[in-house]
Amino acid sequence: MTLLDEREKAQTEAVNPRLERKARRRESWRGFFHAAPAFVYLTFFFTLPLLVVFVFSFASRSNTGKPQLEGWNLDSWTRIADPLVRTIAVRSLTMAIANTVLCLLIAYPFAYWIATRARQSTRTLLLIAVLVPFWSNFLVRTYAWRMLLDSDGYITQLGELTGLWGRMLFTAPAVFIGLVYGYLPFMVLPLYAALERMDWSLVEAGRDLYASGAKAFQKITLPLSKPGIIAGSILVFIPSLGAYVTPDILGGAKTNLLGNLIVTQFQAARNWPFGSALSGAIMIIMLVATLVYFRTGGRTV
Amino acid sequence: MMDGPAAVGLHGVTKRFGEDVVAVDDMELEIRDGEFFSLLGPSGCGKTTTLRMIAGLEFPTDGSVRIFGDEMGIRPPNKRPVNTVFQSYALFPHMNVEDNVGFGLRMQKVDKAEMQRKVGEAIDLVRLQGMEKRRPNALSGGQQQRVALARALVNRPKVLLLDEPLGALDLKLRQTMQLELKDIQNEVGITFVYVTHDQEEALTMSDRIGVMNEGKLIQVGPSEEIYEAPLNLFVASFVGEMSFLPGEIAEPGAVRLSGGEVVRAKTTSAPGTSVTLTLRPEVVHIFGDHSEVPAGRNSVAGSIARRIFQGGSIFYEVDIGASGSFEVHAENLPSMRRWKVGDDVVVDFHPEAAIAFAE
Repeated sequence: MTLLDEREKAQTEAVNPRLERKARRRESWRGFFHAAPAFVYLTFFFTLPLLVVFVFSFASRSNTGKPQLEGWNLDSWTRIADPLVRTIAVRSLTMAIANTVLCLLIAYPFAYWIATRARQSTRTLLLIAVLVPFWSNFLVRTYAWRMLLDSDGYITQLGELTGLWGRMLFTAPAVFIGLVYGYLPFMVLPLYAALERMDWSLVEAGRDLYASGAKAFQKITLPLSKPGIIAGSILVFIPSLGAYVTPDILGGAKTNLLGNLIVTQFQAARNWPFGSALSGAIMIIMLVATLVYFRTGGRTV
Repeated sequence: MMDGPAAVGLHGVTKRFGEDVVAVDDMELEIRDGEFFSLLGPSGCGKTTTLRMIAGLEFPTDGSVRIFGDEMGIRPPNKRPVNTVFQSYALFPHMNVEDNVGFGLRMQKVDKAEMQRKVGEAIDLVRLQGMEKRRPNALSGGQQQRVALARALVNRPKVLLLDEPLGALDLKLRQTMQLELKDIQNEVGITFVYVTHDQEEALTMSDRIGVMNEGKLIQVGPSEEIYEAPLNLFVASFVGEMSFLPGEIAEPGAVRLSGGEVVRAKTTSAPGTSVTLTLRPEVVHIFGDHSEVPAGRNSVAGSIARRIFQGGSIFYEVDIGASGSFEVHAENLPSMRRWKVGDDVVVDFHPEAAIAFAE
């Protein structure tokens, strides 16, 4: 046995293994207590309702449309393949992707601009400006857009003045504008967080190593801000896929999205099992998409 | 002795940040082709800003920066024939060692086979074989430092700029890397401009040193000259150990210390001027009494106030009453007499080794 081995042995034996195990167990209990409130809350108000939705998707309906917890079947799940559902799903998906891409294109330069302001106070002020819309209710803000996009709204008037567009209310572009408006802050914040902790000396090193400004951005800034891009994209894509208020208020009947379809099932159509199956299907798709996203890019850097 | 233009020429270079911060003030400096040049100074003296202006990461407010005679103006860093080793290394965390080292060549669109050969050579040069596929965060500080060096050297810049590259390493590693850097510089023959606040590091590695303070270049010269013939009190105190004794010029070439002793010293000041006498600890010797002191040297009586054993040498502090105290570095040789605290002694030094600076 070498001297080093002996010393190591003495060090490890200095602590009684039984006491150490006890301390570790106490540590893990303490961790559980910290998590307990969230754990209880999520069990009762998130996991259980989700299970209820899942159970209802296999239920049957009475003649009056009342869901019955008997006569279990897969009818609601097979109905998802219906062409009407498919049309709405494709429209929702297109809208959600387009919304995510446009938010990214608008938010990235903006977040970059905020993150590169020299003074901390300036950055804080600009971030607060991004959050100001949240001070008023989302519904109220969406109704404001309805006025802007209506026949006598400023945006419609501007379009008619320049001859570029007419009244957009109750069309797909109106929904699109509303979605971009609503979800932009969710893209700005994670992008800002990623860019703000960027080590700018890396960009300097890139420039020093013969990269032009554009190349340095492409090879250094962009890959290093990837976690922010991913987080922002998830935060925008997922809720916009299930968006309900915006298409409902700005879209009119023709631009139904998945969110509206689900709400219709629970209200007008009184088809709870089908609504549940639709919700379940979207959740599964989102879960898979998120996992794939994190697997492919989330772990780098 | 110089043929052709200087590797780096700074002429009247001034850098202001905002209205009233002058980081670099009217700097005149020529760095020769192939030399190891150090910019030495305390933090905030403008040495890093100077380096960044050569790299193109900052532009001078005034004056001209030339590299081998070419005016740099506001040419961006990617169009300058220089590369930098950054203080924090600035390795790309999302690339492995090989990709980090090859980055500059990729940006210059060097063809693939050539690039691989050069990257391999650079990795060999800094002895990182086998680490090619590792990410920077899986490397030790010393290894990261080598990657940063290889990443810059692989491009064969005309001038290599190094911004306190050893600052983050521990003492032992730093000393090894100092020698290694010097060897690498000899091997590649590129001009090195080295920024540091560590005077020992600068003395060890440099052919010439430029000492800076508060944005100004105070003195430029070979290491020996900076150490042995400092131009003023700042250089004297910043570079190496030094004893300082207040006094005034008694007559040309003689200083009266505050305790009344008169010693001969190098000075250009006129009689009556208040001065500080400076002495390196290794030029002062200790004797038992005045009769032992060789002729033609200064001698001052005092007593041993402190003794610190340092292995190869012994450090003494000799109290000379109202005049202050001398620091003495005595080599630890068997023939040397050992003194105890409280011993009455006489310190002696050669007049040429003492320099008096006007306050």
